[in-house]
Amino acid sequence: MGAFEYRQAEEIRDALARRGVRYLFIGKSGAVLLGYPDTTQDADLFVDRSPENGRALVSALRELGFALTDPQADEIERGKDFVQLRNGPFDLDLVFAPDGIERFEDAWERRVEVEGFPVCHLDDIIASKAATNRAKDRESLPRLRAFREYWSRRQPSYPGPREGQPR
Amino acid sequence: MDDAKAPRPEGNVDDARGPEESIPREWLEEFEAAARRPLHTRMRYAFIKTYKPVLDDAPFRSFDTMADYRRWCEENLPDWLGYGRI
Repeated sequence: MGAFEYRQAEEIRDALARRGVRYLFIGKSGAVLLGYPDTTQDADLFVDRSPENGRALVSALRELGFALTDPQADEIERGKDFVQLRNGPFDLDLVFAPDGIERFEDAWERRVEVEGFPVCHLDDIIASKAATNRAKDRESLPRLRAFREYWSRRQPSYPGPREGQPR
Repeated sequence: MDDAKAPRPEGNVDDARGPEESIPREWLEEFEAAARRPLHTRMRYAFIKTYKPVLDDAPFRSFDTMADYRRWCEENLPDWLGYGRI
């Protein structure tokens, strides 16, 4: 399996859109969509947890070529907090409850659309990475926060960092 | 989406109001270079594939809670992957 490609991101976008799946790109893959230059290995999707959304997501994943058994599909439909897929045409992580973000609805309201890709706001991506408290995220946060400064200057309606968030 | 609540999608690099002094020059140059590239090129540069031991050895994993996932990472992945909490 090779690296995740733009074409595959389009396939995700289109397959999930056809079924009305509510999701957002999150993590470094989301930051890359917003313009952040860095390397990463797989795509992370923050998915709205509801039975209907879960069923639609499973249907889309199977169309994309993920070989999901019925028990695995059931776990996705139920919306376990974290699901790691290595059984398809590319690696994909599904996150139903990312650290640092209380409700999907809040993130959805703040989302940014890039070429039709729904992406978590950079503040949410940073909040999530900061909350995980992992070594690899801690190392990447200073540069990601610097990118937020740069990116925010290109967003005239951007209200500035949320209160209490380190700059 | 309510435009008043969220920023616009990608703007033009020319919209930037000048370099941000707090951003190290090297990073700023990288951000500006990335802003000049189309998305498909940025993605080609961003996504790499390297084998991650243990993590890539199962076709499917799921965790009831993020705490379970973090714990599993700490107990099963090599430290150098960086998945351990600080």
